[in-house]
Amino acid sequence: MAYSFPEEVLEHVFSFLSSDEDRNSVSLVCKSWYEIERWCRRRIFVGNCYAVSPSIMIRRFPEVRSVEFKGKPHFADFNLVPEGWGAYVHPWIVAMSRSYPWLEEIRLKRMVITDESLELISKSFKNFKVLVLSSCDGFTTDGLASIAANCRNIRELDLGESEVEDLSGHWLSHFPDSCTSLVSLNIACLASEISFLALERLVSRSPNLRTLRINRALPLEKLPNLLRRASQLFEFGTGAYSAEVRSDVFSNLTEAFSCCKQLKGLSGFWDIVPAYLPAIYPVCSRLTSLNLSYATCQNPDLGKLISQCHNLQRLWVLDYIEDTGLEELAANCKDLQELRVFPSDPFAPEPNATLTEQGLVAVSDGCPKLQSVLYFCRQMTNAALVTIARNRPNMIRFRLCIIEPRCPDYLTLGPLDAGFGAIVENCKELRRLSLSGLLTDRVFEYIGTHAKKLEMLSIAFAGDSDLGLHHVLSGCESLRKLEIRDCPFGDKALLANAAKLETMRSLWMSSCSVSFGACKLLAQKIPRLNVEVIDERGPPDTRPESCPVEKLYIYRSVAGPRFDKPGFVWTMDEEAAVRLS
Amino acid sequence: MLEGRMAVVKPEMKSYIWLQTADGSIQQVEEEVAMFCPMICREVLQTGTGSSKNCAISLPQRVNAAILGLILDYCRFHQVPGRSNKERKTFDEKFIRLDTKKLCELTSAADSLQLRPLVDLTSRALARMIEGKTPEEIRETFHLPDDLTEEEKLEPLRNMTDDPRIRLLNRLYARKRKELKEREKLKNVEVEEEQHVDERSVDDLLSFINGEDEDSKGVRTTKSKKKNRRRKEQARNSSTNNETGNHNQESSFPASSCLNGDVPSPSKPSDLQDPAFDEGDIDDELDPVMKEEIDRDHPVISPSPVAIKPFMPAWAAVAFLGEVEDFARRLNSVWPERMQEILSFGQERRPVPVSVNGNDSLKRYTAGLDGR
Repeated sequence: MAYSFPEEVLEHVFSFLSSDEDRNSVSLVCKSWYEIERWCRRRIFVGNCYAVSPSIMIRRFPEVRSVEFKGKPHFADFNLVPEGWGAYVHPWIVAMSRSYPWLEEIRLKRMVITDESLELISKSFKNFKVLVLSSCDGFTTDGLASIAANCRNIRELDLGESEVEDLSGHWLSHFPDSCTSLVSLNIACLASEISFLALERLVSRSPNLRTLRINRALPLEKLPNLLRRASQLFEFGTGAYSAEVRSDVFSNLTEAFSCCKQLKGLSGFWDIVPAYLPAIYPVCSRLTSLNLSYATCQNPDLGKLISQCHNLQRLWVLDYIEDTGLEELAANCKDLQELRVFPSDPFAPEPNATLTEQGLVAVSDGCPKLQSVLYFCRQMTNAALVTIARNRPNMIRFRLCIIEPRCPDYLTLGPLDAGFGAIVENCKELRRLSLSGLLTDRVFEYIGTHAKKLEMLSIAFAGDSDLGLHHVLSGCESLRKLEIRDCPFGDKALLANAAKLETMRSLWMSSCSVSFGACKLLAQKIPRLNVEVIDERGPPDTRPESCPVEKLYIYRSVAGPRFDKPGFVWTMDEEAAVRLS
Repeated sequence: MLEGRMAVVKPEMKSYIWLQTADGSIQQVEEEVAMFCPMICREVLQTGTGSSKNCAISLPQRVNAAILGLILDYCRFHQVPGRSNKERKTFDEKFIRLDTKKLCELTSAADSLQLRPLVDLTSRALARMIEGKTPEEIRETFHLPDDLTEEEKLEPLRNMTDDPRIRLLNRLYARKRKELKEREKLKNVEVEEEQHVDERSVDDLLSFINGEDEDSKGVRTTKSKKKNRRRKEQARNSSTNNETGNHNQESSFPASSCLNGDVPSPSKPSDLQDPAFDEGDIDDELDPVMKEEIDRDHPVISPSPVAIKPFMPAWAAVAFLGEVEDFARRLNSVWPERMQEILSFGQERRPVPVSVNGNDSLKRYTAGLDGR
């Protein structure tokens, strides 16, 4: 006895389901719900662009308005993925240009997008509104010009941390005078100077503009002109925050910031001249998000600034903040949820700032809502980690990067197993974890036992044997992404837990001990996995099968092996493998 | 019956509208309450019905007497103009506390009466009941049939004529189909309709994958243009040059195949790019029923709650949608033991190299773990 609804009613009910998980569940309930759901699905997220093909997506979901694709593995951010690896978005754009004429939003992360793709986007989707390119590359400012010129209803253009070939700053002038729909513009990653006049005019005719992040080339003196025309901004990213110290510039700046009554987030601050910091004091108390990761200023200026931001929820900062600054943070910013501390000079042999484990302990103690941490430092102890774990059982993301590989607890000189063990044991909602320091197989035993909600794990220079990897693969039930470099993990754990790999989005292993033979075996056993060996030394079959591969990227896919592989990516030729073995 | 366009209202008497539900029962309702429903309002104004018992407005079938009562309670409350938002919200929150069956009936009825605010209210409530549940739990809550076949749950690859990899699969299945038909004549195999564990041995899997090489020999119906690999330099050329460098594969490119029967050695760089496989002449439509037959190669040994079909994995249904926790759990519960068995075929022969990664590596890895 089923409750019968007209389709529109059920669609209406589904429209109140916001999470993809819920929509997935709905689609698997029964035939009629599957059908109804697929016709009214408007938003798709593809976590690995090679896991599925455009035609599969389009066939199943004919009425999509918003797509998000992710391409290269995360370790591409650290130059571990060679140039030309893949993640080309063009086939997707072509397919969607034919089938989704009403597409409004495209969000890409770590994908390669060309000017041709950008032009195709600008001409194919009449109602195109949102383009977000995070850490993408492959395009130039010419492509941006197409978007500016042709997307009549563009609302959001966000270039994230993409690598853009900056041919000229004139592309901005391609926004027609009739374009008044901009809500968000982020061009912070662009190197060259853009026409200030064009920008000013654009901002003036965009009454809905809420986010504006300009690039480094834009001089500080011009900022007030911009801010005065956009006093309704919620988020603002400055350009270079430096100029000759002059009182008129300073007062102009201060006044302009004061006019921005809704400003909640600030970023930018390249080449910072500390004398100009007080110009933002008027807005500090309203700030919830502050990104100072390019700001090379130090204490006491830095500490003084932060201690005024009582409502701060998110802080990205360099290690110049030091333990003292973090203690001030802990004392003043009780709403802090996310902290990222980056190294100002990671390659310096000696620490250039007094940032130790104490700073993080202080913040974990003083900020009850702290749930997301990325912390680069040079020393750590088990005791500190245990304290942090006990202070913050609500931790969701914990990424600790001790700069020196295999760095032990500096007090006991032992491994940091117990410390990270405490983290996973206490923080039951932990979804993301990055390990560093001296670690044995034991830490992986703790992780496998306790980290049941862990979705992403990053490991480097850790562990003693395959047992470590086995603990993780067999114990972490929610694991989706695993990335490993320079660990002594070999074939055994991988093959024994082969089936687990199908339940994950992807596995990356580089500079480990996985043999080519194991890769072939894995590919044979589980056809739905794409096993890709990245090896720039030439064909793997010219070396013995037991020879470890350089890099390995394994991911599940319904699209079969990809056919846009570069020469240094080797997929397993199953038939030949059988013949050779 | 048309008795004038408007219901006559005598000022000193309260005026009523007559409504008839599908089960035949007729009731009279205060006019202002009934007119709160757009559908009723329209009927009254356009057809003039509802003014007496004889010309009662027939309500849509989805509105039964009990549900009508509920709806009228809602209308009675909300049609009063003076109420504050808070009052209305409080009323709504209480009103919505109904069992699933009533809630569904109410949603359906409100929709047929075009009572938008009530449709929204009930739809949200239903959405809340769906949130966080697994498909089984949702089925249970709403008494829905479990009528998706395993194939359908696993994202059937139908009508994918433009995807060469699917053609490849189709070809394999077609051959297997033939084989099966022959075997059927010889064997009497007891099979379950759905839901069995894939008991095939490794050799079977491999031979299945490899299929018949005869057809793939030599015929390179290749449309494989040699593509320029995307390099940074290319980006510098005008974007129109990207024609060749881009990857408009959908229609013309073969997948890197697992079937290069006659390739003497695997993975030569030149072969790797686009090893072609010939596109057979079989029908392109992948018939999931056939698939099931193919998978029922072997007698079932023990039923299990999970049906694992090679090429059509559980998670495929929503592979690109990020999370498939329930399938992951099911896979996990069944596969590890199975895989240990299957893999033990391969493992004996291979000594696992144990090479310790140099402790002497002094590589800095700040660019190693995390970044902005």
